Amino acid sequence: MMNCEDYKEAIATDPSWEGGEEHLSGCAACLGYRDDMQALDRRIEQALSLRVPDIETPELPELDTGKVVALPARRRISPPAWFAVAATVVIAAFVGVRMVGNDVMYSSLADEIVAHLDHEPKALRVTDEPVSERRLTKVVPASVANMNHEAGLITYARTCVINGKKIPHLVIQGEFGPVTILLMPDEMIDGAVQIDGQSINGVILPVGSGSVAIIGEDKENLGNIQQSVVNSVSWST
Amino acid sequence: MNSSKAAAARRRRFDELVGVFHQDMYRYSAWLSRDRTIAEDVVQESLLRAWKSLDSLREDAAAKHWLLTIVRRENARYFERRRLETVDIDNLTPSQEALLANQPNEELDEMRAAIYRLDDDYREPLVLQVLMGYSTNEIAEMMELKQGAVLTRLHRARHKLRDEMQEEVADRDRCNE
Repeated sequence: MMNCEDYKEAIATDPSWEGGEEHLSGCAACLGYRDDMQALDRRIEQALSLRVPDIETPELPELDTGKVVALPARRRISPPAWFAVAATVVIAAFVGVRMVGNDVMYSSLADEIVAHLDHEPKALRVTDEPVSERRLTKVVPASVANMNHEAGLITYARTCVINGKKIPHLVIQGEFGPVTILLMPDEMIDGAVQIDGQSINGVILPVGSGSVAIIGEDKENLGNIQQSVVNSVSWST
Repeated sequence: MNSSKAAAARRRRFDELVGVFHQDMYRYSAWLSRDRTIAEDVVQESLLRAWKSLDSLREDAAAKHWLLTIVRRENARYFERRRLETVDIDNLTPSQEALLANQPNEELDEMRAAIYRLDDDYREPLVLQVLMGYSTNEIAEMMELKQGAVLTRLHRARHKLRDEMQEEVADRDRCNE
């Protein structure tokens, strides 16, 4: 038959253990110990059961696994491959010397931005429904940037990954449709980079120590939007 | 099944699993990292990783274990990328404070703080057993330990918590005298 030490050892490792009944029936001390341990475990469980915040599913990439379609046939934006050539040419004009050697990140950044728009088509719906202040604060926390409402009606806000960094991806409604704004506080560029595609028109603007990409429909006049976006953003660091 | 239907089915499967287990993922992550913000980041990364490797999960019945293992690895990766720091419970960041201030209740707060102070080696098996319902065998497998080591850690964790709670009660009694 088990002794007190063995019983307590077993109960302390698992208070829900139901063995040792024979010992327990004749040992008030161990019975009390078991009750204490079970009460302790209930409090531990309550303490561990933290309230869970709304967990937002991250942006899930389309997977080309052979079983899953990579992209819908309907693409609103010109093919990234075509864009990459144009972007590289334009970027080279601005930052040519920095394209040498390993520092070719600007062309990949632009390429990645367009590819990103392409695989997140639901961001580009026409709507007059603004995102909530709570969501906006979550996506654009004060620790990243301070953004006021000068930029326009924000209808989409999500944290996305561009060039390995989490950045706020916003959409405002322009005259000819949705306009994408990517706030990239850690992507420093030397000068504005024009983005021209078959159905898009955009720019990556240097803003302080970071940059902001603004991309709209090809007919969209981005001049005013650019100004208001730049005025509305201030990096926190 | 054509590819778009397969993609939709895959997404549905993912959403269902996340719907069932996201609370466990968050709580496990929160008690591993002891920081709400880090927990949210780790869960996000874990979801992304789970999505990419969903096809490797053959049985949905094994999903909880699979997802928690991903959380555990992501948490380790997170801290590999950052300098390990000793947490001073009297000098917590707002995000760490938020973990302890969850659903304010004096008694539970004391217990939460005591759990918070436990060494990682003791806290993790306790979370896996009490909150996640794992057996000591399963915990040993997850933590890559011998079962005896898990039993010892659980035993010590409970005794530490019991001693701390008794001290808290004694302190309160002294204050009320």
